Amino acid sequence: MTRLNGKTAVITGGATGIGLAAAKRFIEEGAFVFIFGRRQDALDAAVAVLGSNARAVTGSVSDETDLDRLYAAVKAERGTLDIVFANAGVGSQLKLGEITAAHIDETFDVNVKGTIFTVQKALPLMPKGGSIILTGSSAGTTGAPAFTAYSASKAAVRNLARTWAEDLKGTGIRVNVLSPGAIATELATAALGKEGLKAYGAMTALQRMGDPTELGAAAAFLASSDSSFMTGSEVAVDGGLAQL
Amino acid sequence: MRKLEGKIAVITGGSSGIGLATAKRFVEEGAHVVITGRREQALAQAAAAIGENVTTVVGDVSRLDDLDRLYAIVKEKHGHLDILFANAGAGTVAPLETASEAHFDQTFGVNVKGLFFTVQKALPLFKNGGAIILTSSVSNIMGLPAFSAYAASKAAVRSFARAWTLELKDRKIRVNSMSPGPIDTPALATTTGLTPEQAEQAAAQFSSQIPMGRRGEPEEIAAAVLFLASDESSFITGVDLAVDGGMAQV
Repeated sequence: MTRLNGKTAVITGGATGIGLAAAKRFIEEGAFVFIFGRRQDALDAAVAVLGSNARAVTGSVSDETDLDRLYAAVKAERGTLDIVFANAGVGSQLKLGEITAAHIDETFDVNVKGTIFTVQKALPLMPKGGSIILTGSSAGTTGAPAFTAYSASKAAVRNLARTWAEDLKGTGIRVNVLSPGAIATELATAALGKEGLKAYGAMTALQRMGDPTELGAAAAFLASSDSSFMTGSEVAVDGGLAQL
Repeated sequence: MRKLEGKIAVITGGSSGIGLATAKRFVEEGAHVVITGRREQALAQAAAAIGENVTTVVGDVSRLDDLDRLYAIVKEKHGHLDILFANAGAGTVAPLETASEAHFDQTFGVNVKGLFFTVQKALPLFKNGGAIILTSSVSNIMGLPAFSAYAASKAAVRSFARAWTLELKDRKIRVNSMSPGPIDTPALATTTGLTPEQAEQAAAQFSSQIPMGRRGEPEEIAAAVLFLASDESSFITGVDLAVDGGMAQV
């Protein structure tokens, strides 16, 4: 399995959960990976696990100077960039009637604006054949109580890939959305508890929670030439949650 | 490690285009494939191109007797089935104002009824677990003038993936549809009823409508089908995977 031999990848939100699982898988397939996240301790722990083909850059996708620093580091060490997995995201619940401007701003700053600048600032480093993967969510196409801001932000991400498929015409760079649902990340486990996870998993057609490694496998498919005729598409890794 | 080591796969419409490219890829990944199609000579040529670990069965998916014969051979030779790629399809040009009943019946006979029974009759051979991939089309969500019966039949296929995901969930069989955009296969020129000039024009027009600026290659579809057939997609079911160069996505 060396579909990503010699490739350089950036993964935002790469210290834990889906981002970390993708980083592991990309490295197994031969890639050199930069993970980007806000927490230095989590990044350090991730790099310790990922080994010598991983680098960590601390920062927030909602801060343009942080992103500039990320790509300067990529350029300095690797020169070019083949794969961008724009995966950093936040989500919290507020019911309609209780929504605050700060809640909307925080969610959209990271999930939408952060995704846009993560990609825009990466483009100068990306040659023909590059692959961009955006993390959407099953929430982008379903109604989930009290997730107004999160769900709308993920619906926006789904559309970014459609528009960018047009904007990237002629560049040889592809862009697709990976939409997880019911994935047992550390974050989900902490938020829902063991019983909550079980109940959530039972809602899927596969009657279980997905493992982050299953997202990593789908991300590797989208990153590699196995998906060479896919752009503007969405791959839902949700056990059927939002498909039926 | 190869992704389909020791797996048994049936591919309908397996003698050319997407079906043949997928059969080759599956065998490269360690599977034994049983390909079926209507034309004996084309199947023999396909088997020669695949080279090893391939069985051919001549038959038409719209004839239930042929399907029974196909699965009897699979059962006798392998005892069970792990992967079904229900890919056989038909689409001919027929404007709404002049389309005949025979055109409608043939399109739905192959693409809807044929696919329905291709899956139903395979079920006794599946153990607990497995993957079923249905070939739909970008036309399942796009208007395609003079191909309305084809487009509607492909929307039916997408719908089957939804219901069957639920019907087969306790058997741990995943069902997904895969929607190719225009692919550079012989079918456009040989089976649609378009003249060579019309086929050439259609190919050029497709390319201009596709964000990637070109038609896809059968091998690119095969790579996506492999993803859906293998454990790489173990948490993916009920989806419609568009492999269309962005055609139906923008």
